[in-house]
Amino acid sequence: MKAKMNSGIFQRYRWKELGLLIIPFMILVLEMVQLPIAHYFQTQITSNSQQSIPFSTAILPPLRDLIPVFGLIVALILVNLLLSLFFPKADQLLLPLVGLMSGIGVLMALRLGPDVGDPLLGIRQLVWVLLGLIVCMATVFGLRNMNWLKRYKYTWALLGIILVALTIVNALRVKNLNSPTHDQLNFGPLNLQPSELLKIFIVVFFAAYLSENRDILSEGNLRIGPLRLPPLRTLGPILLMLGISLLLFLVIRELGLALLIYGIFLSMMYLGSGKLSYVIGGLLLFAALGFVGFKLFGYVQARFAVLTVDVVNWQNWSLATQDFARNGALQVVQGLIALANGGVLGAGFGLGHTGAFVPVAQSDMVFTALGEEFGLAGLFAIIGIYLVIIYRGFRIAIEASDEFNQLLAAGLTSIFAIQTFIIVAGNMKVLPLTGIPLPFLSYGGSSIIANFIIVGILLRISYNTAMEREGLA
Amino acid sequence: MTLDVFLLILRLLFIVLLYLFLMQVVIAITRDLRKTAAASASLDNKAPPVVGHLIVVDSGPSNILPGTRFDLSPQTTIGRGPTNTIQLVDNFISGEHTRLWFRNGLWYVQDAGSTNGTYVNNQPAREALAARFGDIIQVGFIRFKLAQ
Repeated sequence: MKAKMNSGIFQRYRWKELGLLIIPFMILVLEMVQLPIAHYFQTQITSNSQQSIPFSTAILPPLRDLIPVFGLIVALILVNLLLSLFFPKADQLLLPLVGLMSGIGVLMALRLGPDVGDPLLGIRQLVWVLLGLIVCMATVFGLRNMNWLKRYKYTWALLGIILVALTIVNALRVKNLNSPTHDQLNFGPLNLQPSELLKIFIVVFFAAYLSENRDILSEGNLRIGPLRLPPLRTLGPILLMLGISLLLFLVIRELGLALLIYGIFLSMMYLGSGKLSYVIGGLLLFAALGFVGFKLFGYVQARFAVLTVDVVNWQNWSLATQDFARNGALQVVQGLIALANGGVLGAGFGLGHTGAFVPVAQSDMVFTALGEEFGLAGLFAIIGIYLVIIYRGFRIAIEASDEFNQLLAAGLTSIFAIQTFIIVAGNMKVLPLTGIPLPFLSYGGSSIIANFIIVGILLRISYNTAMEREGLA
Repeated sequence: MTLDVFLLILRLLFIVLLYLFLMQVVIAITRDLRKTAAASASLDNKAPPVVGHLIVVDSGPSNILPGTRFDLSPQTTIGRGPTNTIQLVDNFISGEHTRLWFRNGLWYVQDAGSTNGTYVNNQPAREALAARFGDIIQVGFIRFKLAQ
């Protein structure tokens, strides 16, 4: 064992990870080079209507313009090196996948920044991603003992709820509920969104609680009609936690987050108990409650009204619909137009108009911005990358050694899956649009940090599993 | 070459690179899966060796037949829950009832926090107790003989 440890960093080095990082680096540099060229192209097009603009090497950007991307590349290589030194057995696919996604996110923020009237947007996003990588490393190093997460489950739950409750008090006191940033906690120059952290705390709590009470939950000895439910005494803490977080989000009108939390709850109940009947029962309950909510609250109806807008048939719109498309449904309608403009191959990075025409293109609607500039082909690749990230997360969960780690990894991965689904479906007018970020791609510090914490936990779980395997072999 | 042609080339290059990356990842995944499949196949070949048996001597209130033999692997858990090595469905058996492990030629028996207790030769096994072949191990109200 000792000899194996000393057999040199070369053998333990994470070559697979480094190899997988090469193409993402090429993509990032390529797009960074393209950005100023596209900008130059657009100014030329508007200033002289001459048909063809000649290409010359003079318009290639100087190296110092590429510094943001080089900073990210250096940071990713540093993370690769640190992981090789201290956690050589951790999963090698996550970092390249996540690195590419957050890199594209930074580039998109750099590109959209001037269009949405905030030239520093990209630089700030870059700083957040670098901070996120540091937090990710801190998580991997700091989580020495997974039982620590498990033992203090009620503390985590309470902490998450307090954070969000503070936000709500703040929102009710200072701002009105219709402002788009009402779920933020202003902390000096920082705008924190504690709800991003709450979702992690909730998954930790669910995983700890379900792994301890799994047997009782999978038996189900409380009969309600054809449904067999676990005894209420066992179910109580989970339902309480679920109820509080749902209530909090309904108060601040964050329907997307409420949907996300409920989705996590259902998938973790299924993973913990292996009973499809819980999921079906949960979905039916959700449909019933959703219908009541739809009837009771005007803002829910307004969200759903967007789905009825028939964009292709715009010539026959009634006056009311025209008005709606200019106000309430503007985001979604403009987003669909942008997507259509992108086509299969896309308008090209830096050559779209999403930033100027789609409200909040940098965070909520970033998927349509990507769709316009990278086209259907690009979107498929991006969704493919998400699928691989999610596959990898579930794989780490399957291989994990005990139930808590399995449930934790699977639950954290479902966050990515459900969140991506909700916001992409919202952008595509399949579901009502709700303002939750697209993981790694949307602009937003809290979301980036929270996602990197999740990646850190997943890396640590995969490392622990591998070490236990080694110990047994 | 005009600029728009150049931009088109960059655009195509980007998409090609994205899909190359995806392909590389998928290849890495399939390799990984093959490796773990091979590893688990070799693990199956050397399945945990059977290093002893528990034979039911007195089935108590349960409906397990006396004389039933249970295989013991070097790490064995007994309980009502589905994750145990030996699953006993009986109301007097807890979800996780008893742990047994084999070390240096001796069996060790310890209660896993059960309600009705574990006994080795009528001594409560709250702490780990050593057991030899021939000893009587009582799990809840079921009595077993430890045999080779």
